[in-house]
Amino acid sequence: MKIHVHLDNLEKYKAFLKFKDAVRSFFLLNNYLELDLPIVSPVLIPESGLEVFETEYKYKQSKQNLYLTPSPELFIKRLIVSGVNDCFYLGKSFRNDELVSRKHSFEFQILEFYKIGVDYIQFSEIVLQLLQFLAKTFFKNQEIVYQNKKILFDKLEQITVADAFHKYAGINSDELFDEVKFLEKAASKKYQTNGFNYVDLWSQIYAQEVEPNLGKNGRATIIYDFPIQFASLAQPNEDGQTAKRFELYIEGIEIGNCFSELTDYKIQKNRFDKEQQERKISGKIEHQIDSEFISYLEKGMPSCSGIAIGIERLGLIFCNCDNINELKILDIY
Amino acid sequence: MAVQAGNLKKGEFISYQGEIYQVQKTEFYSPGKGSALMRTKIKNVSSGKTLDYTFKSNEMIETVEVTSIEMQYLYKDSANAIFMDQQNFNQYEVPLEMIGDVVSFFKEGETMYVYVHDDKPLNVRPPVSVTLKVTHTDTAAKGDTVTNAKKEAELETGAKVMVPLFIKTGETIIINPETGEYAGRANS
Repeated sequence: MKIHVHLDNLEKYKAFLKFKDAVRSFFLLNNYLELDLPIVSPVLIPESGLEVFETEYKYKQSKQNLYLTPSPELFIKRLIVSGVNDCFYLGKSFRNDELVSRKHSFEFQILEFYKIGVDYIQFSEIVLQLLQFLAKTFFKNQEIVYQNKKILFDKLEQITVADAFHKYAGINSDELFDEVKFLEKAASKKYQTNGFNYVDLWSQIYAQEVEPNLGKNGRATIIYDFPIQFASLAQPNEDGQTAKRFELYIEGIEIGNCFSELTDYKIQKNRFDKEQQERKISGKIEHQIDSEFISYLEKGMPSCSGIAIGIERLGLIFCNCDNINELKILDIY
Repeated sequence: MAVQAGNLKKGEFISYQGEIYQVQKTEFYSPGKGSALMRTKIKNVSSGKTLDYTFKSNEMIETVEVTSIEMQYLYKDSANAIFMDQQNFNQYEVPLEMIGDVVSFFKEGETMYVYVHDDKPLNVRPPVSVTLKVTHTDTAAKGDTVTNAKKEAELETGAKVMVPLFIKTGETIIINPETGEYAGRANS
Protein backbone atom coordinates (compact mmCIF):
# COMPACT_ATOMS: atom_id res chain seq x y z
CA MET A 1 0.00 0.00 0.00
CA LYS A 2 1.05 3.56 -0.63
CA ILE A 3 -0.10 7.07 0.14
CA HIS A 4 -1.65 8.72 -2.90
CA VAL A 5 -2.28 12.44 -3.35
CA HIS A 6 -5.10 13.36 -5.76
CA LEU A 7 -5.38 17.11 -5.92
CA ASP A 8 -7.23 16.72 -9.21
CA ASN A 9 -10.18 15.67 -7.02
CA LEU A 10 -10.17 19.01 -5.19
CA GLU A 11 -13.51 20.25 -6.57
CA LYS A 12 -15.32 16.98 -5.81
CA TYR A 13 -13.69 16.85 -2.39
CA LYS A 14 -15.01 20.36 -1.64
CA ALA A 15 -18.47 19.31 -2.81
CA PHE A 16 -18.27 16.32 -0.46
CA LEU A 17 -17.33 18.59 2.47
CA LYS A 18 -20.39 20.74 1.75
CA PHE A 19 -22.47 17.59 1.55
CA LYS A 20 -21.30 16.50 5.00
CA ASP A 21 -22.05 19.98 6.36
CA ALA A 22 -25.59 19.62 4.99
CA VAL A 23 -25.98 16.22 6.65
CA ARG A 24 -24.85 17.72 9.94
CA SER A 25 -27.23 20.69 9.52
CA PHE A 26 -30.19 18.36 9.07
CA PHE A 27 -29.57 16.71 12.42
CA LEU A 28 -28.73 19.89 14.30
CA LEU A 29 -31.89 21.56 12.95
CA ASN A 30 -33.89 18.57 14.17
CA ASN A 31 -32.37 18.66 17.66
CA TYR A 32 -30.20 15.56 17.42
CA LEU A 33 -27.14 15.62 19.66
CA GLU A 34 -23.87 15.22 17.79
CA LEU A 35 -21.68 12.55 19.37
CA ASP A 36 -17.89 12.74 19.36
CA LEU A 37 -16.76 9.18 20.02
CA PRO A 38 -13.52 7.17 20.25
CA ILE A 39 -12.44 5.08 17.28
CA VAL A 40 -10.67 2.49 19.45
CA SER A 41 -12.22 0.27 22.05
CA PRO A 42 -10.97 -2.44 24.45
CA VAL A 43 -14.10 -4.53 23.68
CA LEU A 44 -16.34 -5.04 20.67
CA ILE A 45 -19.73 -6.42 19.73
CA PRO A 46 -19.07 -9.82 18.09
CA GLU A 47 -20.12 -9.81 14.44
CA SER A 48 -19.35 -12.88 12.37
CA GLY A 49 -19.48 -11.03 9.04
CA LEU A 50 -16.81 -8.46 9.95
CA GLU A 51 -13.10 -8.66 10.62
CA VAL A 52 -11.49 -6.08 12.92
CA PHE A 53 -8.21 -4.19 13.25
CA GLU A 54 -6.25 -5.03 16.38
CA THR A 55 -3.78 -2.70 18.07
CA GLU A 56 -2.13 -2.32 21.46
CA TYR A 57 -1.82 0.41 24.06
CA LYS A 58 1.44 0.30 26.05
CA TYR A 59 2.52 2.11 29.18
CA LYS A 60 5.75 0.91 30.83
CA GLN A 61 5.17 -2.81 31.48
CA SER A 62 1.42 -2.79 31.06
CA LYS A 63 -0.32 -3.57 27.82
CA GLN A 64 -3.90 -3.41 26.68
CA ASN A 65 -5.37 -4.76 23.44
CA LEU A 66 -7.47 -2.22 21.62
CA TYR A 67 -9.56 -2.55 18.46
CA LEU A 68 -10.52 -0.02 15.84
CA THR A 69 -14.29 0.15 15.92
CA PRO A 70 -16.18 -1.32 12.92
CA SER A 71 -19.20 0.74 14.06
CA PRO A 72 -19.87 3.23 16.89
CA GLU A 73 -22.97 1.30 18.00
CA LEU A 74 -21.48 -0.05 21.26
CA PHE A 75 -20.79 3.51 22.42
CA ILE A 76 -24.05 5.05 21.24
CA LYS A 77 -26.32 2.51 22.91
CA ARG A 78 -24.53 3.01 26.23
CA LEU A 79 -25.31 6.71 25.93
CA ILE A 80 -28.94 6.05 25.03
CA VAL A 81 -29.42 3.73 28.01
CA SER A 82 -27.80 6.43 30.16
CA GLY A 83 -30.32 9.03 29.00
CA VAL A 84 -29.16 10.57 25.73
CA ASN A 85 -32.06 11.15 23.34
CA ASP A 86 -32.02 11.46 19.53
CA CYS A 87 -28.39 11.56 18.46
CA PHE A 88 -25.95 11.09 15.58
CA TYR A 89 -22.30 10.28 14.91
CA LEU A 90 -20.46 11.23 11.74
CA GLY A 91 -16.92 9.88 11.70
CA LYS A 92 -14.57 7.06 10.85
CA SER A 93 -15.06 3.32 11.20
CA PHE A 94 -12.77 0.45 10.21
CA ARG A 95 -13.36 -3.01 8.79
CA ASN A 96 -10.44 -5.33 8.12
CA ASP A 97 -9.94 -8.09 5.58
CA GLU A 98 -11.62 -6.10 2.84
CA LEU A 99 -10.25 -4.93 -0.48
CA VAL A 100 -10.47 -1.36 -1.65
CA SER A 101 -12.90 -0.97 -4.53
CA ARG A 102 -15.28 1.49 -6.17
CA LYS A 103 -17.66 1.61 -3.22
CA HIS A 104 -15.53 0.13 -0.52
CA SER A 105 -12.58 0.86 1.72
CA PHE A 106 -11.34 -0.68 4.96
CA GLU A 107 -11.42 2.80 6.50
CA PHE A 108 -14.66 4.64 5.86
CA GLN A 109 -16.93 7.40 7.11
CA ILE A 110 -20.07 6.28 8.82
CA LEU A 111 -23.19 8.19 9.79
CA GLU A 112 -25.15 6.57 12.56
CA PHE A 113 -28.28 8.18 13.89
CA TYR A 114 -30.88 7.08 16.38
CA LYS A 115 -34.42 8.23 17.07
CA ILE A 116 -36.12 7.34 20.33
CA GLY A 117 -39.67 5.94 20.36
CA VAL A 118 -40.07 4.98 16.69
CA ASP A 119 -39.96 1.62 14.92
CA TYR A 120 -38.05 0.90 11.71
CA ILE A 121 -40.95 1.71 9.38
CA GLN A 122 -41.62 5.08 11.09
CA PHE A 123 -37.88 5.65 11.02
CA SER A 124 -37.79 5.26 7.23
CA GLU A 125 -39.81 8.51 7.07
CA ILE A 126 -36.94 10.32 8.79
CA VAL A 127 -34.48 8.81 6.31
CA LEU A 128 -36.70 10.14 3.52
CA GLN A 129 -36.73 13.59 5.17
CA LEU A 130 -32.92 13.53 5.27
CA LEU A 131 -32.75 12.66 1.56
CA GLN A 132 -35.28 15.39 0.75
CA PHE A 133 -33.29 17.93 2.79
CA LEU A 134 -30.07 17.01 0.95
CA ALA A 135 -31.79 17.11 -2.44
CA LYS A 136 -33.23 20.54 -1.64
CA THR A 137 -29.87 21.84 -0.41
CA PHE A 138 -27.92 20.59 -3.43
CA PHE A 139 -30.47 20.58 -6.24
CA LYS A 140 -33.14 23.03 -4.93
CA ASN A 141 -35.59 20.28 -5.70
CA GLN A 142 -36.91 16.85 -4.69
CA GLU A 143 -35.37 15.48 -7.83
CA ILE A 144 -31.65 14.96 -8.39
CA VAL A 145 -29.59 13.71 -11.32
CA TYR A 146 -27.07 10.92 -10.76
CA GLN A 147 -24.98 9.63 -13.68
CA ASN A 148 -27.58 11.02 -16.12
CA LYS A 149 -30.48 9.37 -14.31
CA LYS A 150 -33.18 11.23 -12.45
CA ILE A 151 -33.92 10.21 -8.88
CA LEU A 152 -37.03 11.55 -7.20
CA PHE A 153 -37.23 11.72 -3.42
CA ASP A 154 -41.00 12.26 -3.11
CA LYS A 155 -41.40 8.87 -1.39
CA LEU A 156 -39.48 5.67 -0.84
CA GLU A 157 -40.15 2.52 -2.82
CA GLN A 158 -40.75 -0.28 -0.30
CA ILE A 159 -40.41 -4.01 -0.84
CA THR A 160 -40.11 -6.92 1.59
CA VAL A 161 -37.16 -9.29 1.29
CA ALA A 162 -39.65 -12.11 0.57
CA ASP A 163 -41.30 -10.18 -2.29
CA ALA A 164 -37.91 -9.19 -3.72
CA PHE A 165 -36.65 -12.81 -3.76
CA HIS A 166 -39.88 -13.88 -5.41
CA LYS A 167 -39.79 -11.09 -7.99
CA TYR A 168 -36.10 -11.10 -8.91
CA ALA A 169 -34.84 -14.60 -8.07
CA GLY A 170 -37.96 -16.75 -8.50
CA ILE A 171 -37.67 -18.03 -4.93
CA ASN A 172 -40.93 -18.17 -2.99
CA SER A 173 -41.20 -17.56 0.75
CA ASP A 174 -41.60 -21.28 1.56
CA GLU A 175 -38.15 -21.83 0.12
CA LEU A 176 -36.68 -18.56 1.37
CA PHE A 177 -37.22 -19.17 5.08
CA ASP A 178 -36.52 -22.92 5.12
CA GLU A 179 -32.78 -23.55 5.22
CA VAL A 180 -32.95 -27.02 3.64
CA LYS A 181 -35.33 -26.01 0.85
CA PHE A 182 -33.30 -22.87 0.20
CA LEU A 183 -30.07 -24.82 -0.28
CA GLU A 184 -31.88 -27.23 -2.64
CA LYS A 185 -33.20 -24.30 -4.63
CA ALA A 186 -29.71 -22.75 -4.77
CA ALA A 187 -28.23 -26.03 -6.04
CA SER A 188 -30.93 -26.24 -8.72
CA LYS A 189 -29.87 -22.72 -9.78
CA LYS A 190 -26.32 -24.10 -10.17
CA TYR A 191 -24.81 -22.29 -7.19
CA GLN A 192 -21.94 -24.07 -5.47
CA THR A 193 -23.58 -25.34 -2.25
CA ASN A 194 -21.17 -28.04 -1.16
CA GLY A 195 -19.51 -26.94 2.09
CA PHE A 196 -21.59 -23.76 2.36
CA ASN A 197 -24.51 -22.89 4.60
CA TYR A 198 -27.76 -20.96 4.34
CA VAL A 199 -26.17 -17.61 5.20
CA ASP A 200 -23.45 -18.06 2.55
CA LEU A 201 -25.89 -18.94 -0.23
CA TRP A 202 -28.48 -16.39 0.82
CA SER A 203 -25.83 -13.64 0.67
CA GLN A 204 -24.64 -14.81 -2.74
CA ILE A 205 -28.11 -15.00 -4.33
CA TYR A 206 -29.09 -11.69 -2.75
CA ALA A 207 -25.99 -10.02 -4.25
CA GLN A 208 -26.27 -11.79 -7.61
CA GLU A 209 -29.99 -11.64 -8.32
CA VAL A 210 -31.78 -9.26 -5.96
CA GLU A 211 -29.52 -6.34 -5.11
CA PRO A 212 -28.75 -5.13 -8.66
CA ASN A 213 -32.48 -4.34 -9.04
CA LEU A 214 -32.89 -2.26 -5.90
CA GLY A 215 -33.31 1.51 -6.08
CA LYS A 216 -33.35 1.34 -9.88
CA ASN A 217 -36.83 2.74 -10.56
CA GLY A 218 -35.95 6.40 -10.16
CA ARG A 219 -36.58 6.33 -6.40
CA ALA A 220 -34.65 5.22 -3.35
CA THR A 221 -35.78 1.78 -2.16
CA ILE A 222 -35.99 0.22 1.26
CA ILE A 223 -35.96 -3.56 1.38
CA TYR A 224 -37.22 -4.80 4.75
CA ASP A 225 -37.93 -7.79 7.00
CA PHE A 226 -34.72 -9.79 6.63
CA PRO A 227 -34.57 -13.47 7.62
CA ILE A 228 -33.96 -13.88 11.34
CA GLN A 229 -30.46 -15.25 10.57
CA PHE A 230 -29.58 -11.67 9.58
CA ALA A 231 -31.21 -10.04 12.61
CA SER A 232 -27.91 -8.91 14.16
CA LEU A 233 -29.04 -6.21 16.62
CA ALA A 234 -32.57 -5.93 15.27
CA GLN A 235 -35.84 -6.92 16.96
CA PRO A 236 -37.51 -10.08 15.72
CA ASN A 237 -40.93 -9.79 14.06
CA GLU A 238 -43.96 -11.64 15.45
CA ASP A 239 -43.82 -14.12 12.52
CA GLY A 240 -40.71 -15.66 14.13
CA GLN A 241 -38.85 -15.85 10.83
CA THR A 242 -37.96 -12.23 10.04
CA ALA A 243 -36.35 -9.28 11.81
CA LYS A 244 -37.19 -5.57 11.87
CA ARG A 245 -34.34 -4.55 9.63
CA PHE A 246 -34.28 -2.55 6.41
CA GLU A 247 -31.59 -1.56 3.98
CA LEU A 248 -31.63 1.54 1.85
CA TYR A 249 -30.62 1.39 -1.83
CA ILE A 250 -30.15 4.04 -4.46
CA GLU A 251 -29.25 2.96 -8.00
CA GLY A 252 -28.30 -0.57 -6.89
CA ILE A 253 -25.89 0.79 -4.25
CA GLU A 254 -26.44 -0.22 -0.64
CA ILE A 255 -26.46 3.04 1.29
CA GLY A 256 -27.57 2.12 4.80
CA ASN A 257 -28.82 -0.44 7.22
CA CYS A 258 -31.53 0.17 9.84
CA PHE A 259 -32.81 -1.78 12.82
CA SER A 260 -35.69 -1.48 15.20
CA GLU A 261 -33.13 -1.89 17.94
CA LEU A 262 -33.23 -5.03 20.00
CA THR A 263 -33.87 -4.15 23.64
CA ASP A 264 -34.20 -7.70 25.01
CA TYR A 265 -30.87 -8.44 26.66
CA LYS A 266 -31.46 -12.21 26.77
CA ILE A 267 -31.97 -12.53 23.02
CA GLN A 268 -28.98 -10.24 22.44
CA LYS A 269 -26.80 -12.39 24.69
CA ASN A 270 -27.75 -15.52 22.73
CA ARG A 271 -26.91 -13.80 19.46
CA PHE A 272 -23.56 -12.63 20.88
CA ASP A 273 -22.68 -16.22 21.81
CA LYS A 274 -23.64 -17.46 18.35
CA GLU A 275 -21.74 -14.71 16.52
CA GLN A 276 -18.68 -15.25 18.68
CA GLN A 277 -18.83 -18.99 17.93
CA GLU A 278 -19.02 -18.27 14.20
CA ARG A 279 -16.08 -15.87 14.43
CA LYS A 280 -14.04 -18.64 16.02
CA ILE A 281 -15.03 -21.19 13.35
CA SER A 282 -14.11 -18.84 10.52
CA GLY A 283 -10.71 -18.06 12.09
CA LYS A 284 -11.36 -14.37 12.78
CA ILE A 285 -9.43 -12.33 15.37
CA GLU A 286 -10.63 -13.21 18.86
CA HIS A 287 -11.36 -9.84 20.38
CA GLN A 288 -12.67 -9.09 23.84
CA ILE A 289 -16.47 -9.35 23.85
CA ASP A 290 -18.42 -6.35 25.09
CA SER A 291 -20.33 -8.18 27.81
CA GLU A 292 -21.02 -4.88 29.55
CA PHE A 293 -23.17 -4.02 26.53
CA ILE A 294 -25.58 -6.75 27.66
CA SER A 295 -25.63 -5.26 31.19
CA TYR A 296 -26.56 -1.90 29.69
CA LEU A 297 -29.46 -3.49 27.77
CA GLU A 298 -30.50 -5.21 31.00
CA LYS A 299 -30.84 -1.82 32.67
CA GLY A 300 -33.47 -1.06 30.02
CA MET A 301 -32.98 0.59 26.66
CA PRO A 302 -35.86 2.75 25.42
CA SER A 303 -37.44 1.53 22.21
CA CYS A 304 -35.66 3.22 19.34
CA SER A 305 -34.44 2.75 15.80
CA GLY A 306 -31.09 3.53 14.28
CA ILE A 307 -29.36 3.42 10.95
CA ALA A 308 -25.76 3.18 9.77
CA ILE A 309 -25.11 4.95 6.47
CA GLY A 310 -21.92 4.81 4.44
CA ILE A 311 -21.62 8.54 4.03
CA GLU A 312 -19.14 8.30 1.15
CA ARG A 313 -21.61 6.12 -0.74
CA LEU A 314 -24.42 8.58 -0.15
CA GLY A 315 -21.92 11.30 -1.12
CA LEU A 316 -21.41 9.53 -4.46
CA ILE A 317 -25.07 10.05 -5.25
CA PHE A 318 -25.24 13.73 -4.27
CA CYS A 319 -21.81 14.67 -5.71
CA ASN A 320 -22.50 12.62 -8.87
CA CYS A 321 -19.36 10.46 -8.66
CA ASP A 322 -18.84 6.85 -9.63
CA ASN A 323 -16.04 5.94 -7.23
CA ILE A 324 -15.56 6.92 -3.58
CA ASN A 325 -11.89 7.69 -4.37
CA GLU A 326 -13.08 10.68 -6.37
CA LEU A 327 -14.19 12.27 -3.08
CA LYS A 328 -10.69 12.14 -1.59
CA ILE A 329 -7.56 14.24 -2.16
CA LEU A 330 -5.36 11.85 -0.20
CA ASP A 331 -5.89 8.16 0.10
CA ILE A 332 -4.15 4.89 0.98
CA TYR A 333 -4.45 1.81 -1.18
CA MET B 1 -5.53 -25.62 -9.93
CA ALA B 2 -8.13 -23.93 -7.80
CA VAL B 3 -8.10 -20.52 -6.12
CA GLN B 4 -10.42 -18.80 -3.66
CA ALA B 5 -12.75 -16.45 -5.52
CA GLY B 6 -11.57 -13.63 -3.26
CA ASN B 7 -8.12 -13.97 -4.86
CA LEU B 8 -9.27 -13.92 -8.49
CA LYS B 9 -7.44 -11.41 -10.64
CA LYS B 10 -8.30 -9.61 -13.80
CA GLY B 11 -6.99 -11.46 -16.86
CA GLU B 12 -7.10 -14.93 -15.27
CA PHE B 13 -8.89 -17.78 -17.01
CA ILE B 14 -11.35 -19.86 -15.03
CA SER B 15 -13.61 -22.80 -15.60
CA TYR B 16 -17.19 -22.01 -14.66
CA GLN B 17 -20.10 -24.40 -15.27
CA GLY B 18 -18.02 -26.35 -17.78
CA GLU B 19 -16.91 -23.41 -19.91
CA ILE B 20 -13.79 -21.26 -19.97
CA TYR B 21 -14.09 -17.61 -18.99
CA GLN B 22 -11.59 -14.80 -18.69
CA VAL B 23 -11.96 -12.52 -15.66
CA GLN B 24 -12.55 -8.95 -16.87
CA LYS B 25 -13.27 -7.19 -13.61
CA THR B 26 -13.33 -8.02 -9.91
CA GLU B 27 -14.85 -6.16 -7.00
CA PHE B 28 -14.61 -7.41 -3.45
CA TYR B 29 -17.83 -6.91 -1.60
CA SER B 30 -18.56 -7.33 2.06
CA PRO B 31 -22.23 -6.66 2.72
CA GLY B 32 -21.72 -6.42 6.50
CA LYS B 33 -24.14 -9.32 6.90
CA GLY B 34 -23.36 -12.90 6.06
CA SER B 35 -20.41 -13.86 3.89
CA ALA B 36 -17.98 -11.69 1.97
CA LEU B 37 -18.44 -11.89 -1.78
CA MET B 38 -16.48 -11.32 -4.95
CA ARG B 39 -18.33 -9.58 -7.76
CA THR B 40 -16.87 -10.34 -11.17
CA LYS B 41 -17.42 -9.65 -14.81
CA ILE B 42 -16.34 -12.73 -16.76
CA LYS B 43 -16.17 -13.31 -20.50
CA ASN B 44 -16.90 -16.61 -22.16
CA VAL B 45 -13.93 -17.38 -24.45
CA SER B 46 -16.12 -19.35 -26.89
CA SER B 47 -19.03 -16.97 -27.28
CA GLY B 48 -17.34 -13.70 -26.27
CA LYS B 49 -20.38 -12.94 -24.10
CA THR B 50 -19.82 -11.31 -20.73
CA LEU B 51 -21.57 -12.25 -17.55
CA ASP B 52 -21.83 -10.56 -14.15
CA TYR B 53 -21.39 -13.18 -11.49
CA THR B 54 -21.03 -12.93 -7.72
CA PHE B 55 -18.97 -15.65 -6.05
CA LYS B 56 -18.68 -16.35 -2.35
CA SER B 57 -15.22 -14.99 -1.55
CA ASN B 58 -14.10 -18.33 -0.08
CA GLU B 59 -15.57 -20.47 -2.85
CA MET B 60 -12.94 -22.47 -4.77
CA ILE B 61 -12.76 -21.68 -8.46
CA GLU B 62 -10.97 -23.88 -11.00
CA THR B 63 -8.41 -21.88 -12.93
CA VAL B 64 -7.43 -22.88 -16.45
CA GLU B 65 -3.75 -23.26 -17.24
CA VAL B 66 -2.76 -21.18 -20.22
CA THR B 67 0.59 -20.59 -21.89
CA SER B 68 1.40 -17.20 -23.31
CA ILE B 69 3.19 -17.44 -26.63
CA GLU B 70 4.86 -14.52 -28.35
CA MET B 71 3.25 -14.09 -31.77
CA GLN B 72 3.23 -11.63 -34.60
CA TYR B 73 -0.01 -9.81 -35.35
CA LEU B 74 -0.67 -10.24 -39.08
CA TYR B 75 -4.06 -8.67 -39.85
CA LYS B 76 -7.70 -8.76 -38.93
CA ASP B 77 -10.81 -9.69 -40.87
CA SER B 78 -14.41 -9.01 -39.93
CA ALA B 79 -14.46 -11.64 -37.19
CA ASN B 80 -10.92 -12.49 -36.12
CA ALA B 81 -7.44 -11.15 -35.55
CA ILE B 82 -4.81 -13.40 -37.10
CA PHE B 83 -1.54 -14.10 -35.28
CA MET B 84 1.50 -16.17 -36.22
CA ASP B 85 3.67 -18.17 -33.85
CA GLN B 86 7.15 -17.16 -34.99
CA GLN B 87 8.70 -20.43 -33.83
CA ASN B 88 6.67 -22.78 -36.00
CA PHE B 89 4.80 -20.34 -38.30
CA ASN B 90 1.41 -21.71 -37.19
CA GLN B 91 -1.38 -19.20 -37.54
CA TYR B 92 -4.02 -18.60 -34.90
CA GLU B 93 -7.34 -16.78 -35.08
CA VAL B 94 -8.52 -14.85 -32.03
CA PRO B 95 -12.13 -13.63 -32.18
CA LEU B 96 -12.38 -9.83 -32.21
CA GLU B 97 -15.26 -10.07 -29.72
CA MET B 98 -12.85 -11.59 -27.25
CA ILE B 99 -10.11 -9.01 -27.73
CA GLY B 100 -12.47 -6.05 -27.49
CA ASP B 101 -11.75 -2.42 -28.40
CA VAL B 102 -8.05 -2.75 -27.67
CA VAL B 103 -7.56 -4.38 -31.12
CA SER B 104 -7.87 -0.96 -32.74
CA PHE B 105 -4.41 -0.13 -31.35
CA PHE B 106 -2.69 -3.24 -32.77
CA LYS B 107 -0.26 -2.51 -35.57
CA GLU B 108 0.31 -5.16 -38.20
CA GLY B 109 3.70 -6.82 -37.83
CA GLU B 110 4.02 -6.10 -34.07
CA THR B 111 4.61 -8.95 -31.68
CA MET B 112 2.53 -9.58 -28.59
CA TYR B 113 1.56 -12.46 -26.33
CA VAL B 114 -1.38 -14.73 -27.08
CA TYR B 115 -2.88 -16.95 -24.38
CA VAL B 116 -3.20 -20.51 -25.61
CA HIS B 117 -5.01 -23.45 -23.99
CA ASP B 118 -5.00 -26.92 -25.62
CA ASP B 119 -3.58 -25.32 -28.78
CA LYS B 120 -6.61 -23.00 -28.89
CA PRO B 121 -5.93 -19.25 -28.69
CA LEU B 122 -8.12 -17.71 -25.98
CA ASN B 123 -7.17 -14.04 -26.01
CA VAL B 124 -4.35 -11.58 -26.46
CA ARG B 125 -2.45 -10.02 -23.59
CA PRO B 126 -2.53 -6.39 -24.67
CA PRO B 127 0.82 -4.56 -24.52
CA VAL B 128 1.14 -2.08 -21.64
CA SER B 129 1.74 0.68 -24.17
CA VAL B 130 1.77 1.04 -27.94
CA THR B 131 3.65 3.54 -30.07
CA LEU B 132 1.65 4.81 -33.04
CA LYS B 133 1.89 7.54 -35.64
CA VAL B 134 -0.72 10.31 -35.84
CA THR B 135 -2.07 10.29 -39.40
CA HIS B 136 -4.37 13.24 -38.91
CA THR B 137 -5.19 15.86 -36.34
CA ASP B 138 -6.42 19.43 -36.70
CA THR B 139 -4.04 22.24 -35.93
CA ALA B 140 -4.97 23.77 -32.59
CA ALA B 141 -6.64 27.17 -32.78
CA LYS B 142 -4.37 29.91 -31.50
CA GLY B 143 -5.30 31.39 -28.19
CA ASP B 144 -6.84 28.16 -26.96
CA THR B 145 -5.28 28.10 -23.52
CA VAL B 146 -7.73 26.01 -21.53
CA THR B 147 -5.70 23.73 -19.27
CA ASN B 148 -5.98 20.05 -20.11
CA ALA B 149 -7.76 20.82 -23.39
CA LYS B 150 -7.70 17.90 -25.81
CA LYS B 151 -8.44 17.30 -29.49
CA GLU B 152 -9.11 14.22 -31.56
CA ALA B 153 -6.32 12.50 -33.50
CA GLU B 154 -6.50 9.61 -35.95
CA LEU B 155 -3.74 7.02 -35.67
CA GLU B 156 -2.14 4.80 -38.29
CA THR B 157 -4.28 1.85 -37.19
CA GLY B 158 -7.44 3.90 -37.77
CA ALA B 159 -8.13 4.31 -34.04
CA LYS B 160 -9.17 7.74 -32.79
CA VAL B 161 -7.88 9.09 -29.49
CA MET B 162 -7.85 12.37 -27.59
CA VAL B 163 -4.45 14.08 -27.49
CA PRO B 164 -3.07 17.36 -26.11
CA LEU B 165 -3.35 20.38 -28.42
CA PHE B 166 0.41 20.52 -29.16
CA ILE B 167 0.44 17.16 -30.99
CA LYS B 168 0.79 17.50 -34.78
CA THR B 169 0.07 15.21 -37.72
CA GLY B 170 3.04 12.92 -38.39
CA GLU B 171 4.18 12.74 -34.76
CA THR B 172 4.57 9.41 -32.98
CA ILE B 173 2.80 9.05 -29.66
CA ILE B 174 2.40 6.50 -26.88
CA ILE B 175 -1.05 5.17 -26.00
CA ASN B 176 -2.27 2.96 -23.18
CA PRO B 177 -4.26 0.48 -25.30
CA GLU B 178 -6.48 -0.69 -22.44
CA THR B 179 -7.86 2.77 -21.74
CA GLY B 180 -7.15 4.42 -25.09
CA GLU B 181 -5.50 7.28 -23.21
CA TYR B 182 -2.61 9.36 -24.47
CA ALA B 183 0.51 8.64 -22.40
CA GLY B 184 3.15 10.85 -24.03
CA ARG B 185 5.23 11.63 -27.08
CA ALA B 186 7.56 8.89 -28.32
CA ASN B 187 11.24 9.77 -28.45
CA SER B 188 12.15 10.05 -32.07
